[in-house]
Amino acid sequence: MTDLATLRAEAEELALALADVSLKAQASEAPHIGSAGRRRAGTGEHFWQYRRYAHEDSADRIDWRRSARGSDLYVRETELETARTVLCWCDPHPGFEWSSDTLKLKTKANEARMLMLAISTLLSRDGERIGALGSGRSPSFGASAVDRLAEDLTTDQPTTMPMPPSGSAMVVIASDFYDPIDVWLARLSPVASKCKEGVILAVHDPVEANFPFEGRVKLSRPGVDGRKLLGRAESVRAAYLQKFGAQRQALRDLTARFGWRMVEHQTGTLPLKAATDLKQALESYTLATTSF
Amino acid sequence: MNFGPFLFGGPLALAALGLLPVIWFILRATPPAPQDVVLPSMRLLDDIEIRDETPARTPWWVVALRMAAAGLAVLGLAQPVFSPDEAGPEQDGSGPMLVVMDDGWSAAPRWNDLKTAARTSLEQLGPDDGVHLLLTAPRELGPNPADRLTRQEAERQIAALEPVAWPVDRQGAIARLNAAEITPGRIFYATSAVATINDRDAFDALADRAPLSIYPARQSPVTALTGLGSGVDGVSVILRRTGASGTEPVFVSALSLDGTPLATAEASFTNGEREARATFTLPPAALARVSRFAVAGGQSAGLVWLWDTADRTRRVGLVSSGGSSQPLLSDMHYVRKAIEPFSTLIEGDLGRVLAADPDAIVITDMGTILPTDADALTAWMEAGGALIRFAGPRLAAQGDTLVPVPLRSASRAFGGALAWEDPQPIAAFPATSPFAELVPPPDARVRQQVLAQPAADLQTKTWARLDDGSPLVTADRRGAGAIILFHITAGPDWSDLPYSGVFADMLRRAIAAGRGETQTQGEGAYVPDVVLDGFGRLEQPSSVAAPLMGEAFAETLPSETSPPGLYRGPACTRALNAAAGLRPTQITAWPANAAVVQRENASTLPLAGPLLAVAAGLLLIDLLVALGLSGRLPQMRRAAASLVVAGLLAPALPVLVPDTAAHAQGARDKALAAATEMRFGFVESGDAALDDRTRAGLRGLSRILYLRTSVEPAEPHGLDPATDALDLYPLIYFSVPETAAPLSEAAIANLNAYIGRGGALIIDTRQGATVGSDTDVGVLTSVLAGLDVPNLAPVPNDHVLTRSFYLIEGFPGRYDKRRLWIEQVGGEGRVLGDGVSRLFIGDADWAGAWAVDERARPLYAVDGGESQREMARRFGINLVMYILTGNYKADQVHIPALLERLGNEDAIEGVGDNIDLDRVPSRILDGGPQP
Repeated sequence: MTDLATLRAEAEELALALADVSLKAQASEAPHIGSAGRRRAGTGEHFWQYRRYAHEDSADRIDWRRSARGSDLYVRETELETARTVLCWCDPHPGFEWSSDTLKLKTKANEARMLMLAISTLLSRDGERIGALGSGRSPSFGASAVDRLAEDLTTDQPTTMPMPPSGSAMVVIASDFYDPIDVWLARLSPVASKCKEGVILAVHDPVEANFPFEGRVKLSRPGVDGRKLLGRAESVRAAYLQKFGAQRQALRDLTARFGWRMVEHQTGTLPLKAATDLKQALESYTLATTSF
Repeated sequence: MNFGPFLFGGPLALAALGLLPVIWFILRATPPAPQDVVLPSMRLLDDIEIRDETPARTPWWVVALRMAAAGLAVLGLAQPVFSPDEAGPEQDGSGPMLVVMDDGWSAAPRWNDLKTAARTSLEQLGPDDGVHLLLTAPRELGPNPADRLTRQEAERQIAALEPVAWPVDRQGAIARLNAAEITPGRIFYATSAVATINDRDAFDALADRAPLSIYPARQSPVTALTGLGSGVDGVSVILRRTGASGTEPVFVSALSLDGTPLATAEASFTNGEREARATFTLPPAALARVSRFAVAGGQSAGLVWLWDTADRTRRVGLVSSGGSSQPLLSDMHYVRKAIEPFSTLIEGDLGRVLAADPDAIVITDMGTILPTDADALTAWMEAGGALIRFAGPRLAAQGDTLVPVPLRSASRAFGGALAWEDPQPIAAFPATSPFAELVPPPDARVRQQVLAQPAADLQTKTWARLDDGSPLVTADRRGAGAIILFHITAGPDWSDLPYSGVFADMLRRAIAAGRGETQTQGEGAYVPDVVLDGFGRLEQPSSVAAPLMGEAFAETLPSETSPPGLYRGPACTRALNAAAGLRPTQITAWPANAAVVQRENASTLPLAGPLLAVAAGLLLIDLLVALGLSGRLPQMRRAAASLVVAGLLAPALPVLVPDTAAHAQGARDKALAAATEMRFGFVESGDAALDDRTRAGLRGLSRILYLRTSVEPAEPHGLDPATDALDLYPLIYFSVPETAAPLSEAAIANLNAYIGRGGALIIDTRQGATVGSDTDVGVLTSVLAGLDVPNLAPVPNDHVLTRSFYLIEGFPGRYDKRRLWIEQVGGEGRVLGDGVSRLFIGDADWAGAWAVDERARPLYAVDGGESQREMARRFGINLVMYILTGNYKADQVHIPALLERLGNEDAIEGVGDNIDLDRVPSRILDGGPQP
């Protein structure tokens, strides 16, 4: 596992590059640091709407300037502005902490951590609160929050899926998602029911996507006993690739069912692409999700 | 080393057979340990059933196949030789082996047999046994019998041996063997079995020395050319053989110096005869060019007879009686022309001619020969010269004594104004005369002659006479020579005889009356010019060959210092022939204690090649099996399986070899089919579906043509323009696939050549579905890059294509209202073949409209329904007619004008003036239905 400092440094570098990527102009028009217009009436600085005075409203909420123009009383409402909370989770399975070529490729988990840290760095600079899912520490923003997130992601990861957060939050779930899709449905359902906004970060190794084996091959899986002997691996390739594609498709369907977004990434490819995808997925919620 | 009838050239290789169990163990062992791979996504494979595990053991029959291949390869490398009779009893001799070989010219025809026998005898040797080599023909730099050679050295030396052109000297060889002072353990003698002097002693001496095996070579049908008979009208070569049985015909060729065969004669030995003659009847001019005779197919110096100039041409001196003002009318001119082809001529006065010592001297009408000259002439005649004299006015006036018979001192004239007698024809030649075989020319008349005085011996001295009995040619012997007198002039003054061809023959025989060859003794040295090698080929003489004196030719036997060949002397060349005067016989009696290796037994069968070939074949099958088992031949699996079965059932090679030949055979059959029956071709695009479509289209077009016209094409051919013979097809259709790779350079070059020679190429891009767009040739520019496209233009309305069979308006295929581009008429830069376009480019998908299935049902829908399909078919017919008949129909354009001219003539003549020029149709309707 890459040590924390390296991970941080890489994430910072990636975040630096990512900051130049302007995805959507609207997304950056947040009213002030740490806040985002929720497109609903609530606590905030910007004007949202005038509405008729209701009896339950206190008298000091009446906007007299507006009410003086007519015979009705109006209440001035501002747009609700809240800071978002983004919670990350990285699959602790040994299979995720694996790379086909330890010299050239980072492990899938490291790659996922780097992506999540990079995006969290950006988010925390914007005032969003970030944290690790199930870490117990409350999400916060600022440089210290990124440090804490890095710590939480690299150590002390719960081996099972943690409980969903108490408040509303966006979640980023990173894994390779090789377990059967039903297993994942069961794992993610509690989180998904709580968090309407989530991103699935599916990271895979090039070897896993290509299955470049030939001849007699004995397969084993990290962290799991049991081996599989293939007499001629090339004869299995087609079935494997088909299976791989089907798994990804099922995952996509699952994501859509949750109303989440999905970002795929292959280790060894440019992380900037995945990072922009991730950023875009997260920012899409600020535009698309309107709840009245 | 030998095991029973099998000899092994490399017995050590057999040790490798001990490795076979190891190979067996390796082949039987489980497959190699698998590659260990960690793969987190292995979870995905949980529910995939692994179907084909490699079997833990290779199938037994594969093991058997490989073991057989390995075993055969080992056996093959051991170089086994099958020789059933080599395990003879004479193997017990110890010590070095002496190999004796006859290497004279008599061994040359069977030289390979002898070498093989000698090499085979070496195979009985152990690796350490020494070999001594003794050659019986004496030569300066031959192998020394004292040298002890290893087996390999001996084999190399034997392989490099060549026979020599002179005969063997077996006694001399024994002497050399004695001088070498070796004691061989056994002796192998490969002999030509042609006898020489004291053979028996030589063989006995060898047999006494050590156990002797003798390999006598088979006798060839003819052993030697031993002599030449020079007749008056040709030559005959004497052939001799050793055996006396059989009647095999032999052909002898007469060759010029540079080896051109001038004539071939057949000679056949009658059963029981050892001598035959091949007779050549050649015109003298051709005979003069013959330089040697050779038995056709014969490979021996003895089968070549060199013919030298001394043998061939007579040297004739011509002595004229003074110069003539009209050389072409002079007597001597007739003589010269008659004897020139077969003689060497020496002209001049008598003294000079005599100095050259010719075979014959011809003297035309000369009155008196000076006494000194007469003495010289007499002496020359005594030595064998033939003096030929012609009569004439001067001889008749004042004769001398140098005549065969006394003459009357006057000539006799016939048929003159004052003579009673008519000119006389020549009577049949007397049987005793050298002219006996000749037929006197019936129309030749003798008008004047000199008469001989009657004498008792006049009858015997007369070679020819006239009808009335008076002598025409008389002759007399003078010592070894002769004197011959023609009682007429050599020119046509006195007779017609010089006009006749018989005159030349008579002169030749007269010239031959002398001794013939007058090469005088002590004539000087003759230097070898070209010599024969043992096989009878001409070559440059070696440095050992020494000059021969002229007188030595008769008794010189060919040897290394005087090899058979042509020797060039001061005046002529002389030949020394290898087998001159020889009477070859076969040696049949061998020493009693010698083992004669019969020729059948001596033949051995080397098995290394076949064994290795079979091993290679098995490995090839194994390769196919391995590929098939591993599933790498999915598309070939069935073929491979059948091949394996065939390979297992039959010997491998015969199965595989015709397979490769089948392809060439197929191409040839295809070209033959295209040449014998007219058919269309199409360019195979590589897209099988498209090719089927095009083929169906052309088949449909062929069928419609068959039904409606006299064009009856056969089944269309798919063509690869790079390799097939395109010129055989009058029309080639190219359906351009949507995603087409560019054609190869060879294909484009062939298509260019095809178009250039007047072929018709129809290119259909099939893109016509997009309404309103023009023909899209974008794909063509890439596919047909390099095609020699002339200037193109859309078909004009009145083009021949619209009326070459049917009258049609457009050129619809599956799509209507498309343009058809053809070569621009009068386009620049090309010599147009009759103005017929050779390139048709369109996009209406005609083949699709024409396409029918086996039961002639249309395959593809057409935009405009059946009526448009019909129009497409009519266009197809028009197209083929246009291509096949050229501008024939275009000529009909001129018919109105022709009719008009015809009508005018008729009007002038007042005959059929019922042609109304106004009613002559602007188009002549042809036989086809009207649209």
